[in-house]
Amino acid sequence: MKKKYTFGWDQGVAIFLLMTVVIGSFVSEYFANFDNISFVIQDIAEIAIIALAMTYLIIAGEIDLSVASILCLSSATLGFLFRNGAPFEMAILGGLLVGLLCGLINGFLVTVVGLPSLAVTIGTLALFRGLCYALLGNEPVNELPEEWIVLGYENIPGTFLPWSTIPLAILAAIAWIVLHYTRIGRWTFAIGINPEAAKFSGIPVARMKLGLFAVTGLMSGVAGVVYTLRFASASPDGAVGYELSVIAAVLFGGVAIAGGVGTLWGVLAAVLSLGAIRSVLQLIDFSANALLVVSGALLLISVVVPKAIEIYQSRRNSAFVTKI
Amino acid sequence: MKTAMTKLFRIRELPVFLALVIVVLITGTANPEFFTLSGFQDITLGVAVVATLAVAQTLVIVMKHIDLSVGSTIGFSAYLIGDASSQGHGFWYCMGLALALGLAVGAANGFMVAYLQLPSLVVTLGTLYIVRGIFNEVAGGNTITEDMVPGPINFIGLNTFFGIPYLFIVAVVLMLIVGFIMKRIRSARDLYAIGSNLLAAELGGIPVARRVFLAFLATGAVSGLAGAVLLARFNTAAANSGNGLELSVVAACVVGGVAIAGGVGTVYGAVIGAILLQAITMALGALGIPQFWQLAVNGTLLIAAISLDRYLSTRVKPTSIMGAK
Amino acid sequence: MIKKLAKVVAAAAIVGALVATAVTPASAVVPGIKTGLKIAIMPKAVNIGYFTAWNKGAQKACKEIGAKCDYVGPTEATGPAQVQFINKIIQQRYDVLVISAADQNAIVPSLNRAKARGITVVTSDADVAAASSKSRVVSVLPAASDRIGTAQVDWIAEAVGKKGSIAVLSAAATAANQNAWIAAMGPYLTKKYPNMSWVGGTVDKSTFYGDDDATKSTAQFAAILSQYPDVAGIISPTTVGVLAAAIEKKAKNAKVKVTGLGLPSQMAPYIEDGTTEKVGLWNPIDLGYVAVYAAARAESGTFNGRVGSSFKAGNKTYKVTKGGIAFLGDPFTFTKKNIATFKKIY
Repeated sequence: MKKKYTFGWDQGVAIFLLMTVVIGSFVSEYFANFDNISFVIQDIAEIAIIALAMTYLIIAGEIDLSVASILCLSSATLGFLFRNGAPFEMAILGGLLVGLLCGLINGFLVTVVGLPSLAVTIGTLALFRGLCYALLGNEPVNELPEEWIVLGYENIPGTFLPWSTIPLAILAAIAWIVLHYTRIGRWTFAIGINPEAAKFSGIPVARMKLGLFAVTGLMSGVAGVVYTLRFASASPDGAVGYELSVIAAVLFGGVAIAGGVGTLWGVLAAVLSLGAIRSVLQLIDFSANALLVVSGALLLISVVVPKAIEIYQSRRNSAFVTKI
Repeated sequence: MKTAMTKLFRIRELPVFLALVIVVLITGTANPEFFTLSGFQDITLGVAVVATLAVAQTLVIVMKHIDLSVGSTIGFSAYLIGDASSQGHGFWYCMGLALALGLAVGAANGFMVAYLQLPSLVVTLGTLYIVRGIFNEVAGGNTITEDMVPGPINFIGLNTFFGIPYLFIVAVVLMLIVGFIMKRIRSARDLYAIGSNLLAAELGGIPVARRVFLAFLATGAVSGLAGAVLLARFNTAAANSGNGLELSVVAACVVGGVAIAGGVGTVYGAVIGAILLQAITMALGALGIPQFWQLAVNGTLLIAAISLDRYLSTRVKPTSIMGAK
Repeated sequence: MIKKLAKVVAAAAIVGALVATAVTPASAVVPGIKTGLKIAIMPKAVNIGYFTAWNKGAQKACKEIGAKCDYVGPTEATGPAQVQFINKIIQQRYDVLVISAADQNAIVPSLNRAKARGITVVTSDADVAAASSKSRVVSVLPAASDRIGTAQVDWIAEAVGKKGSIAVLSAAATAANQNAWIAAMGPYLTKKYPNMSWVGGTVDKSTFYGDDDATKSTAQFAAILSQYPDVAGIISPTTVGVLAAAIEKKAKNAKVKVTGLGLPSQMAPYIEDGTTEKVGLWNPIDLGYVAVYAAARAESGTFNGRVGSSFKAGNKTYKVTKGGIAFLGDPFTFTKKNIATFKKIY
């Protein structure tokens, strides 16, 4: 029963994406062209990359509010290393390593020290962003090599896809396959559905969670690199508030906050939908304030509608009435 | 005597209270300014808003829920009070407006969480966006200035009662009232049961949906009324008022022993947690930690405080915290 | 013969009329500026009072030149948020973009893209980084950074009687405008007021960041007082900061003098009751007005933004100086004497 409606919601998101694109093309002459598609993909690239990992985390019953700060810290590390003479490739590597390290710290605090992830990642949110300020002070790094910056906002020659599509597509494919077709994916679901039972059936729960946090940190690091290239700068106040966008996208994609349920393509469809609908609404001149309301409404819809369907179906199918 | 002593050591709030004492002592030694009346007033004024919201948030967290919309609600409420007052409405009208807003948001949250049984993290995140969007649209680029603040609110914000700022007294009174209710009144104690073991609570005959709904309604109402506290404290309000407060409030609760896993913690702990966090922030300045390191140190201390509380909670009182949800 | 002449004259008149309508822009409202331009006015963020005033000026100019102007921008004053809206401007094929840069670096690639699509870009109030000045035609700024910085030092010196220690309550640590002004304050204080000093030794160690947030600014004001109880004066080069400082000073009955950049409408009560003696600001309405003119003229091909060139906005002519910047002039100061008039304007 539960599987059925969640499957329905994922399909629902894909349909929503399709509808947004179709209706958007009619409603605004500026929406459906290659340029705009490129903009939308660039817009959501960082959020999508982090969402890939956040999906696993939430399915496993955890959460990470510090991802935006990790993104910023990776970006700041990249900038800091480059400014101090490191070759750009090394700086990128440094940024990725820092992301991984931050993820490990989160994982350590949750699995070894035993702190609840919601609370502890509020703390690391502050800690990691604070380190950005410690690294860069009030001087953002803005002289990055030209040949790298073009990767940030140019399209792959001959296509309408921005360069950032490449890391996104590769990581999305890996994430999808691992989550739905490998043992690690199955373990993730198992941990989310019932951690105690998972432990007793031999799944290394603590190690898995540590790994998931570490991967989330690494993905935030990748997003940090993409972000740095797109905005041709590394600044300590980058990506403020992105964590809420990532979580909103994952939830809109049908991943249950309680854990144990979700699909990766639902999340991808959700990220693309949110980017598309924001583009459509902006192009028909919705104000930024109205867009906030729409974001909130979509989030609510993503949980109200499946619940409404469930109530309706259970009313139809069984004699018991759900408690209202 | 012995039982009294062991009872003292098992008080859940003891760790956070001790941490507060330590921080105050360290800061005071480094900067004696801290121990003056002015230093005391700084802390108590600075903590008034978060403490008020933390009291309300406790109701929700002990049930294993969360309310992220409080920042948007309190900001909007502060703006509405100032706006209505500038149009000539009286103090009670403005407060009524604030209360109405709070009740509306609380009712919406409560309905979706209690009766539709939707996850509170998602629901309140949604209402956070919606309320903020509406708030921004209503406020535009306007700023509430001091002359638009109703007289009584202005008075409370600026004055002290034998040296203690009225704003802090408001927060403390609220804490005492809610604390008393949660300990003595049966229907409030049910909130702990709901957070500890939902199934057992249901089977035990507790009307869970009604309790959850009322708790969110109460949180909303307090957030709305607390708009007056926000306005009194800063004598100004604009579209970005209240932004981000929700995380500080949740942090204060967690540090104060109100576990995210639900079922434990009191409003007294939440308020002490709020004071501790405020003291830490002020301590960083007083100790001369360079500006650019303050956020990082703040985050580290927050993690340390949460860890300490968790460690001591497993020593001080047997709990059934099953981990991170 | 006369009939033939009449025909020729009529034909000439018709041809002349046709040529005239083709050559002069249809109902040219202001000579040298195309009418019907589609202009986007983009603040750092839409819900800020200062930018509402800035837009007022922009809209006034737009009406005069017969352009269609839209006030669009994000709710949070960050570069990435602005980039989304710059993309929208590109998509909707605006002719002109007048923008106050929320982040002097992050928006540069997008501005370059806009420029490549034929959109004329002018920054106003806040510019992009000096190294990226090619991404906009010209920048219309209130006054040279050092003038704005040193003027505030003069105001605080006047208030504290030219002796004592002072601190700075700024906006975000990364705020380019404020950082430039503060950089000018340091050497000026040492040179001109030898009896005054910075609380932390240097101006950098005496700067506290309020992030343009009322809560944080208030907390930082309290932090300054608690760390340096003998501080004589506080300069706050941001409207949010100086308002918070004045409110807090009054609330605590503190002795420290406060000055900085303040909106007269917000600071009026505190100037009238003496909490602060003087604050200053340029007129954001003028900033918006002049920027639109500069941009419209550039789009119409009559102004190219090169150093040394000049353009006319309203009754005044503005010259472009080093770095591609046109300055409005010195900031106004607001005291008890003139606050009554100014508080109604902005």
